Amino acid sequence: MIERKAEVLQGTLDLIVLKTLETMGPMHGYGIARRIEQVSRELLSLNQGTLYPALLRLQQRGWISSEWGASENNRKAKYYSLTRAGKKQLAAEAKNWEQIAAVIARFLQPRGENVR
Amino acid sequence: MTAMREFVSRLLGLFRKPALERDLDDELQAHFDMLLDENRARGMSEAEARRVARIRLGGAEQIREAHREQSSLPLLETLAKDLRYGFRQLWRSPGFTLVAVLTIALGIGMNAGIFSILDALALQPISVGGQKLASIYPIFQGHRHRNVHNSPSMFSYPEYKAYRDQNHTFSGLAGYVPFVITTAGGERPVEIVGSLATCNYFDVLNERPALGRGFVEADCPAAGASPVVIVSDDYWRNTLGADLQIVGKTISLNHSLFTIIGVAPHGFDGTEITPSAFWAPMEMQPALLPEDQFLDDVDLSWMALLGTLKPGISLEQARADLSVITGQMQTKYPGTMRLEVRRAELFNRPEERGYIFAVGTVVLTAVGLVLLIACANIANLLLARAAGRRREIAVRLALGASRRRLIRQLLTESVLLALMGGALGTFISFVSFEALMRSVIAHLPPGAPPISLHLSPDARVLAYSLLLTVLTGVAFGLAPALQSSRADVNTSLKEEGVDAAMRSGRIGKLRNSLVGAQVAVCMILLLAAGLLLHGLYRAQTIDPGFEMKGIDTVNFALTRQGYSEAQAAALHEQMKERLAALPGIDALVQARNTPLGDEHWETSARLPQSGTSLQVRYNRVSPNFFSILGIPIVRGRDFSDSEVQSGARVLIVTEAAAREFWPGQDPIGKTLEVFGDTSPLLEVIGVAKDAQVDLLGQEHPRFLYVPTSLKESADDVFMVHSTLGDAATQREIHDAIHQIDPQLLFTVARLEDNPENFRAFSRIVAAASGTLGALAMLLASIGVYGLVSFAVSRRIREIGIRMALGADGRDVMKLILGQAMRPVAIGAATGMICCAGVSRIFSVLLFGVSPIDPVAFLLVPAFLILVAAVACYVPARRAMRVDPMVALRYE
Repeated sequence: MIERKAEVLQGTLDLIVLKTLETMGPMHGYGIARRIEQVSRELLSLNQGTLYPALLRLQQRGWISSEWGASENNRKAKYYSLTRAGKKQLAAEAKNWEQIAAVIARFLQPRGENVR
Repeated sequence: MTAMREFVSRLLGLFRKPALERDLDDELQAHFDMLLDENRARGMSEAEARRVARIRLGGAEQIREAHREQSSLPLLETLAKDLRYGFRQLWRSPGFTLVAVLTIALGIGMNAGIFSILDALALQPISVGGQKLASIYPIFQGHRHRNVHNSPSMFSYPEYKAYRDQNHTFSGLAGYVPFVITTAGGERPVEIVGSLATCNYFDVLNERPALGRGFVEADCPAAGASPVVIVSDDYWRNTLGADLQIVGKTISLNHSLFTIIGVAPHGFDGTEITPSAFWAPMEMQPALLPEDQFLDDVDLSWMALLGTLKPGISLEQARADLSVITGQMQTKYPGTMRLEVRRAELFNRPEERGYIFAVGTVVLTAVGLVLLIACANIANLLLARAAGRRREIAVRLALGASRRRLIRQLLTESVLLALMGGALGTFISFVSFEALMRSVIAHLPPGAPPISLHLSPDARVLAYSLLLTVLTGVAFGLAPALQSSRADVNTSLKEEGVDAAMRSGRIGKLRNSLVGAQVAVCMILLLAAGLLLHGLYRAQTIDPGFEMKGIDTVNFALTRQGYSEAQAAALHEQMKERLAALPGIDALVQARNTPLGDEHWETSARLPQSGTSLQVRYNRVSPNFFSILGIPIVRGRDFSDSEVQSGARVLIVTEAAAREFWPGQDPIGKTLEVFGDTSPLLEVIGVAKDAQVDLLGQEHPRFLYVPTSLKESADDVFMVHSTLGDAATQREIHDAIHQIDPQLLFTVARLEDNPENFRAFSRIVAAASGTLGALAMLLASIGVYGLVSFAVSRRIREIGIRMALGADGRDVMKLILGQAMRPVAIGAATGMICCAGVSRIFSVLLFGVSPIDPVAFLLVPAFLILVAAVACYVPARRAMRVDPMVALRYE
């Protein structure tokens, strides 16, 4: 049996990236990608390159900012960090996501319990 | 907010593209290195580490593409790229570009010009004194009697006063009576057109007189004891010598002295198309419009109303407010009058608007058709070019361009072309149509009132031109773009395939239908021109059925010029005796109006037995009217002097009228109820032969003649027959009348000039439609020429083979002509059918020529086919001269 990895849901990548930056603090693209893979226990399939257009979009919206710096291995890397607007956005999106998830979960519950 | 922010950074991204891309490359490189480190640490071989790193990162090019799309505005960027590319393409073929731009400029320019006239006439709001005005019109529903002096959509003075005093929505409401024709006295009396205006007129319109003052309450006394007048700037400059001391001096209008209290500001000549030379208070009506008592008449349409709304009041609110007042006033005819409140525009009265928009639609359709022909031409040129660019397009398709992307590119190119042409055309029309308007106005009939129309192209005209231009670009660009982007990559990339595709292909069919459509449209325009020209010819040569030679008419309007009834009657009698006694004059008759003159009187005639009622035109004539005009009385007899003296209730009818009222019966002795007057009925004493006395070209006029009435004859015209020749007679008449009363205004004219009233308009329309038709033909023949020469150049090889196999030049010619003339013939037939369907709209200008006149419907198509054949023949000759040996080696 072939194990299928879940695709990243449209629109959820933003939320994942924002949350990752909140937990980890300033981080470069590779680090973000690694973290996503670890947290998802390698269940999410991610072409790591697709992060970059998303990072650019978040930057354009003013939710994250970026700065060149040096990595642990002393490589030149661009570090992304959450802005204040980004924190607010994250809170709003997380709440929104939880609501959606709760609604979806209710639909997926066995029928009998649904009637009340 | 966020979206705005993103848009701004994308916009900025447009300009810092290289930097952004370099950044991304560095980042991806760093990422890749880190992945490598990780893989190596896991103990992979160098090659394996690289392979896995590349897979996990994903395709670099795709990432860059996605990043690029996110970093700036891709839509704008492709547009800019397409524009640049389009410019290069157009620059590379300057001949094509020039022809296309000029063709479009011509088409768009004409449309923009015509539209700017329509705009100035009926769409632009009147703006005087720097403010927008509202105008008010009554609309009558159901049958009701109302006296009309100017236009039915006007008000009476009492109605105005009620609206002015009782409304809650206007900050000012003024009224005026336009087109007041008066005699301005002086060394030589002249006729001038002015207005009567309410006292607040200049205040409401916010026009401060340049000299002197506007009206004040004291100027508008009940009886008009000390008449005052404000003259226009034009009149002050041209007639009063720009006298700076003019205020306080007097001028004579209709034999009453008026004190000039002010000169209107420069550039203000009223709000009608006829400029007003003066404004006098409404109360001066008895002196300036002496025909009747108008001021107290409640149920009379003669004043136009203009007002300024209070701030924040809508037109609808104003209408509701005024309608309440209307309801209170309507005791006699409740519920038959409804109001319309509109933004004031030049041609604003409902009946005028209907007319203007109908004529405007016809004219805009005609110039629109010419634009359509021009579009077809350019589409054809583009198709020819598309054949040349087939390889380019095939290459781009092969390299992965999508069809949508290609169509967008090609459409950008054609819209760009259209925009260049449209801008040029609009510019030219803005500078040239003012001059064109002046020349048209100069060709109006001699009796037409002066016209002041200022063309000032506004945003609406610009928007119209722009819309038309873009539509044009899409119209001529879409079909070629769809066609050429459909290229089959495989065949197109092979040289041989180009010809094969062209010969068999859909492109040929499309080009044929384009030429067919062109010929059809051209046929419609040319046939219309042909009909109108035939109409004009008929108007010039028609025999109206009465004699005009040697007859002069003497026109005056005594009561309108301020003579009292008794004075006028005496003067009229005196002039009649004097003129009749002049040497050379052997006959003198009088009539209410001259045959084919610019006045027409109409009434309803009712058959007493059956009660049938018909509208009829009529004239009041003296005895011998028929003999001087050579109109035979076919039955019965002429009026007699004693009948005129006694006011006998008698009537002469035309043959056509007799046939209509009493078909198959002897009309003599029959009776009719005319002028809504029952006692006693009018008795028919004679039948006059049908003659076109009312409208030129009207073969069977339903027309009545009644004898002149002694009571109302002071304004009757004289017609004299003289043996001396027109010039001498006219001089004689001038001198005689001048001796009787030097202040009397009158005109002496040849009766032969009367048909000019009809011909002048016919001439303008025929000239305009002829020009359009010629232009359409030029464009269509270019289209045909292009079609044939393209076909020939593409078929050189085939022709060569045919000739090598024994065909001679004539066979080849037959082949080419036959194929080219087919769409022409189909188009011509379609055009003829369409034109026959709509040509009735010109019937007024055809003067009896049938709307499907065989002369026009044979000559015009023959001519057009001939021109098309020549346009085919010239390029087809090349095919005849093809040398088989050369042709077979061709390409």
